[in-house]
Amino acid sequence: MKISIDWLKDYVSLDLSDTQVISTLNRIGMLVDEWEETEDDTILELETYANRPDTLGHLGVARELAAALGIPLNMPDISIVENDKQIAEHFDIQIMDEDLCPRYCGMIVSGIEVGPSPDWLQKRLRALGLVPVNNVVDVTNYVLFATAQPIHAFDLAKLKGSKIMVRRAKRGEGMRTLEGRDVALSQDMLVIADEKDPVALAGVIGGEKSAVSEATRDVLIESAYFDPVSVRQTWKKAGVQTDASYRFERGADIKFPPHAAALAATLLTQMGGVAYQGMLDVYPKPARPKAVVIRHHRTLELLGAEIEEAFVTKTLKDLEFQLKEQQPGIWQVTVPTFRVDIEREADLIEEIARFFGYENIPSQLPMWETVDLSQDRKRSLETGLRQLMFHQGFDEVVNYSFTDPAREELFRRDRGAIAIRNPISTRAALLRTTLLNGLLQTVVWNKNRGAEGVHVFELGHIFSQDEEDKRELQAMGMITWGALEAPHWQGPGLTTDFFHLKGTCESLVASLGYQAVSFQSQDHPFFEAGHALALHLKGTEAGILGRLKPEILEAYDLNEPVWAAEIDLDVAFEIQPHVFHCVPVVKYPSVIRDISFLIDRGVPYQGIKEILDGLNLPYLERHTLYDRYTGTGVPEGKVSLSLRFVFRHPQKTLQAGEVDALQEKIGKALRSNFEIQLREGGEN
Amino acid sequence: METLKNRIQGLRDQFAQAAPQVLDQAALQELRNLYLSRKKGHLTQLFELMKGLAPEQKPAAGQEVNSFKQYVQSELDRLEKELQAPSRSGPSVDLTLPGRASYWGAPHPVLLIKERIEQIFLRMGFSIEDGPEMETDFYNFEALNFPPHHPARDDWDTLYIDDDLLLRTHTSPVQIRVMEKKKPPIRMINPGKVFRKETPDPTHLPMFFQVEGLVVDHGITFAHLKGTLEYFLKALYHDSIKIRFRPSFFPFTEPSAEVDIGCTVCNGEEDDCRVCKGTGWLEILGAGMVDPQVFKNVNIDPEKYSGFAFGMGVERTAMFSFQIPDLRYFYENDLRFIRQFSKK
Repeated sequence: MKISIDWLKDYVSLDLSDTQVISTLNRIGMLVDEWEETEDDTILELETYANRPDTLGHLGVARELAAALGIPLNMPDISIVENDKQIAEHFDIQIMDEDLCPRYCGMIVSGIEVGPSPDWLQKRLRALGLVPVNNVVDVTNYVLFATAQPIHAFDLAKLKGSKIMVRRAKRGEGMRTLEGRDVALSQDMLVIADEKDPVALAGVIGGEKSAVSEATRDVLIESAYFDPVSVRQTWKKAGVQTDASYRFERGADIKFPPHAAALAATLLTQMGGVAYQGMLDVYPKPARPKAVVIRHHRTLELLGAEIEEAFVTKTLKDLEFQLKEQQPGIWQVTVPTFRVDIEREADLIEEIARFFGYENIPSQLPMWETVDLSQDRKRSLETGLRQLMFHQGFDEVVNYSFTDPAREELFRRDRGAIAIRNPISTRAALLRTTLLNGLLQTVVWNKNRGAEGVHVFELGHIFSQDEEDKRELQAMGMITWGALEAPHWQGPGLTTDFFHLKGTCESLVASLGYQAVSFQSQDHPFFEAGHALALHLKGTEAGILGRLKPEILEAYDLNEPVWAAEIDLDVAFEIQPHVFHCVPVVKYPSVIRDISFLIDRGVPYQGIKEILDGLNLPYLERHTLYDRYTGTGVPEGKVSLSLRFVFRHPQKTLQAGEVDALQEKIGKALRSNFEIQLREGGEN
Repeated sequence: METLKNRIQGLRDQFAQAAPQVLDQAALQELRNLYLSRKKGHLTQLFELMKGLAPEQKPAAGQEVNSFKQYVQSELDRLEKELQAPSRSGPSVDLTLPGRASYWGAPHPVLLIKERIEQIFLRMGFSIEDGPEMETDFYNFEALNFPPHHPARDDWDTLYIDDDLLLRTHTSPVQIRVMEKKKPPIRMINPGKVFRKETPDPTHLPMFFQVEGLVVDHGITFAHLKGTLEYFLKALYHDSIKIRFRPSFFPFTEPSAEVDIGCTVCNGEEDDCRVCKGTGWLEILGAGMVDPQVFKNVNIDPEKYSGFAFGMGVERTAMFSFQIPDLRYFYENDLRFIRQFSKK
């Protein structure tokens, strides 16, 4: 909000430089975002606060300054030229819905010549970036920006009858606003009506029919208090937000309407108008002032600073709170009606802290006690996963959690997507159901910018719904395309493939401490048939990996293979890991045996591995597949596999005969389960 | 005698010149023969020459010739060893060729800073808590002292799923969820993603990360808030960073504060600094003492306990730390941007 320093000087005698004014305001929490020096003024851009509507006018800001500087606040002068007519004899105000309008004041000023405002007034408004309209409209704007109390002026001649009614709108009523917009009214909207029709949307905007024009001679000044929630709902429904509604919805000062009306009348009579005597002030149930108790010892307990009693009482009095001592160090504080934000003791302590100065409160580290010794397992797992992915050469990315429905459709599976009711754009209308869509877009973005390989991962939440429930899951996605390394003079760099992705998944599972892991072929809507595996941890499916299907890649104009995996971390983290303990290093030497054989190419390696694992051979430390060969010497349809077995006895050196027996057992098991042909020379 | 000496000197120079040319066994054998051959070798000839000298000259001459013979012998041995070493078995290697570096993935800069922030609070014994990104109106607003229809809600442009569900606009709901479950003392941070209805531009994003924190215990004061956050900021930036606490107004804290640090770019010395706009200060944290109503909402007695809460945007902090000019960089995922952080 714009604040003119020159205007502030109408209410406080400022003997300070602009910089001093700005730093004084900042010190008490009225943040000056920026400022601009003009010829004879400085205009501040002041931050506004939803719970400080009293500072939405110059008077309120001046009050804060006066308290901070310990100088008096000068209220605007009231001096009204009156005629001999009593307003009450000529006009009437009736509030039908007191709940939405507890107070309504009206004054009449007659004989106005509508025309340009005096220079000083035009200058005030221009300083705030407003365009002067005419003296009547300018006065209403002036009062609003001076006092934060919105007021309105009706052309008295255009009101039907001599009565204003404040009531809820009737079914089917409508109104054209000052701006020329037609608003359909509903029965929960409060309107100001003459004896026939609504003439203003209460607290929001006036109607066109009763608007002040060049021909206006007599005006009815409205100065009222409207219920904040009602004003807010009305402007939202009508789609019209104004400086008035902005203030009313935050809470006006219920004590102030008569003063604002009188200020308007003062100005209008200075410009040649004459006011009717008296004021209509309908205020059937005057509000009881709020009372809050403050205890001096609480200032120390909450602020950690020794603040003298005298400072507490002086600060509150300077801010126009009234204090009554109940006991030594305990006061009952009556809150001025303009401070809608003050309800509890803590609010008063905030006032004291603000004026005491945050820089004067000491800095202390609390004497911490240990709160919780339990390890944050999920966090340490996440940290471990990220380190592992970096080690595997994957870069970390973060994609938006919203997606384009058209793109999300490509990754459709057995879960529904959650829609955002008011999305930032139609292309961000859904919550993502998978991380892979965003990751694929990362591949495309970087490929289009010259990348030759993209290997990235993301940890994040995905969302889905079925008929019952909306769900949020934690997932990890990874994607790999293209070159893994830049070419080097010693040879061309590696290019990614399925086994790079699978190896990463295997390392990942190992890093989580899971041993019972298996991969099973699975058809999945994201992946090409026969090119996907499901990752199972202790029998529970925890993820999927494979080669993205061509339909998805084509939608992104990609014609090279892309492999991707998505791990369900909620599932993975839930599974209890294998308990780690260290195994003693055996000092006896190992015996290594290599076995090579021909087998049908169609036999999956996993089947062979399961048979070998199932043998539970004693002294077998590990076995690995170290060669896989097709080509010269290998018949069509067959493949040559070479496995290495490492045997070691924990307490002695194994004898050749003992290992021969074990090797024989392996050969037998392979022969009885598969059609194999052992290759000569495969042993050593 | 002088003739002999000169001859030895000449042969010594010739040998020294020939030795580096020896690149294989054949050349070595040739050199060996040239000097040590029993028939025509230079040394054999020298010994022959010595025979013709006067007897009194012989001892000195013998010394000269023997010393030269030792020199030749040891040089030939050295050459022999070098030829056997592998480096001499092929052409010599150009050690200035580039090495083979390993490729290490880069962390996302926001998560990098988030982790640094977390590490500092972990050192102070804070726990790290998280919660759902899809929240209810109650946890996101009401429990935090935002009544329905309050204009304070306008400061948070909210993305709604339905009347009750929304995308959390701050991570504060996690604090409510923790306070409902745990009793004080509580000392936690709650980092995470938050959402606002904003169109991306250099200074706005519809999604960003926050780290918020909460301390609840007996006797927690505003002085503790100051001490803790000063410690944190010094640990995150450096020990002599300028720190300023200013009053502010948040619905969920009384009193409320905003915390500024001295501009990390111009250090308050440039009037036209792009980052601090010449003010010398950067707003980095919002904080305050927990509102008693928030405590009542989670059944903590505000007369017995007090606490403070704080929050910061991670992207802003990353921008200040790394001088990143545009917020949109963060979620474009351009690897030319992200890869730079593999070095951090």
